[in-house]
Amino acid sequence: MTNVAGMDLATQLSALLPYLVLAAGGLLVMLVDAFVKSLRKEHLSMLSLLVLLGVAVANFTGSMSLSDRTLLGGMVVNDQYSWFFNMLFVAVALLTVTFASGLYDRDGHYRAEFYPLVLFATLGMMLLVAATDLMTLFLALETMSLSVYVLVAGNRGSLRSSEAGFKYLIMGAFASAFLLMGMALLYGETGGTSYAMIGDTIAGMNSASLLLKLATGLILIGFGFKIAMVPFHMWTPDVYEGAPCYVTGFMATGVKAAAVAALLRFAWLTLPVLADVWFPVLMVLAVVTMTYGNLVALSQNSIKRMLAYSSIAHAGYLLMGVLAYLQTGRDIGVATRAEEVGVAAGGAVLFYLVGYALMNLGAFGIVTYLSKDRKHEADTIDGYAGLAQKRPVAAASLAVFLFSLAGIPPTVGFVGKFYIFDAVVKADLLPLAIWGVVNSLLSVYYYLRVIMTMYMKPAEDDSYSGGSWETVFAAGVLALMVLMLGVMPGTLSQLARNTFKFMAY
Amino acid sequence: MEVGLTHYLILAGALFLTGTAGVLTRRNSLIMFMSVEIMLSSVNIVFAAYSRASGDLSGHVFVLMNFAVAAAEAAIGLAILVEIFRLRRSVNVDDLNSLME
Repeated sequence: MTNVAGMDLATQLSALLPYLVLAAGGLLVMLVDAFVKSLRKEHLSMLSLLVLLGVAVANFTGSMSLSDRTLLGGMVVNDQYSWFFNMLFVAVALLTVTFASGLYDRDGHYRAEFYPLVLFATLGMMLLVAATDLMTLFLALETMSLSVYVLVAGNRGSLRSSEAGFKYLIMGAFASAFLLMGMALLYGETGGTSYAMIGDTIAGMNSASLLLKLATGLILIGFGFKIAMVPFHMWTPDVYEGAPCYVTGFMATGVKAAAVAALLRFAWLTLPVLADVWFPVLMVLAVVTMTYGNLVALSQNSIKRMLAYSSIAHAGYLLMGVLAYLQTGRDIGVATRAEEVGVAAGGAVLFYLVGYALMNLGAFGIVTYLSKDRKHEADTIDGYAGLAQKRPVAAASLAVFLFSLAGIPPTVGFVGKFYIFDAVVKADLLPLAIWGVVNSLLSVYYYLRVIMTMYMKPAEDDSYSGGSWETVFAAGVLALMVLMLGVMPGTLSQLARNTFKFMAY
Repeated sequence: MEVGLTHYLILAGALFLTGTAGVLTRRNSLIMFMSVEIMLSSVNIVFAAYSRASGDLSGHVFVLMNFAVAAAEAAIGLAILVEIFRLRRSVNVDDLNSLME
């Protein structure tokens, strides 16, 4: 393992450039807000967009000389896996800032803290995926979570927003305690906090000790909270509904993707223990998660609550992919073609995360677009009546996103689900795949209901109508991407598979 | 009797369960906060005990990180609670029902 002294400082710093740019950029935005008095409202969002573009460039050029590099004495790693997710998180943050800028301009109050908090949350997500030490994993998770707690509660003067923030914080802190207890026991059982040490110790064990089993279970609970896995989903509907809609979009895509990505790396690290002990439990939870999410979503009248339950259901689909990967660590037939099945499963999860980020962020973008201000969000499904006549572009984009969430071709949602089910079948888990297909069919009903309302019902006086052009433009671009990736998924899917292969094999 | 690693782990386990029960059963949000802090403290005991038993320092460092994060979490949590109290004049979680259907 390379330590700090073993690699010269300049190399390390240049490899860490995306993180440094983002951290410094967040501080800069804060300072500019505090000290530049002649500031216009658009300036901070422009500055944040510039910072994020800088991070994207730093990340992209960094990949030119990319080889798996352990940095800061084994605290973080710079590999293709972290590179892939850095790009995703920067894209999510860019879109969130774009969506929010429109709403903030029409809002009576201007709250500048939104921008640095989004930047810091993004930094947390990036480090969460790059972490190769329990300590960085924990700090990154908290950097992300603490920023998002404030973002959720950020709509000051609104009881719903504060309440959502409080619920998220109590549940999040509760989950962190479980995660930490798991980390402490894992540290005790393996004698170190670095992934290298933990991996070596677990590989050298004949059978896992009771405390080690308990430790991995507790860590799974911690991740389960973040990705909204049943029975740790209680906070999801309330928090998604109470938070401002552009923050909900950020949480549903960025936070979930970061948690799943970190969970996959953790699954790779502790594969023997998870596959032996926790596989059956996770299988039951995945089935319950998607079924519960889809069933409850059927009866929702608030579009944000509907999307919250849909996000629980999608956590179930993602868990199916994780399960297909865990299957390769079990002592059964699949182990002989472990790499083939593992790459298919991991690649499918990565592809799905990108697709899910595009379609879900787009859907929340349209909700943001239609919201008059932060007190009157476009939340009831009935208010979407006649949108197709009034705002054809917004209605068409939302229809594309909802079709994609339902998994109807030719959209990225369909391709993503296809890859996941395919990997699950390859992993000899056919019943699970069938149950996933049944669930997808079930989910079509509640997505179609919104589309029907938009296209079939006449507009009423209190129906929602437009907002700022940049939001609908960004959403339109997202809709095109959703369709494009649905028709030509090859490049991204190849990239996702290679990325997972480099990380795990 | 020599106090060893097992004793510390049992103490930490008992504290952790106490905290869990507190979060799940109490209805006053401040008490719920305190219960979460108890859970975090029990984790610190585990880290310190293992660290001392193995002579490896990273457990101790983890405890310090934990303190810092717990403090930040409490600061944000109390700020949100103050905001809720202003709007609702109560910190009882049963009164936080504006998001129920």
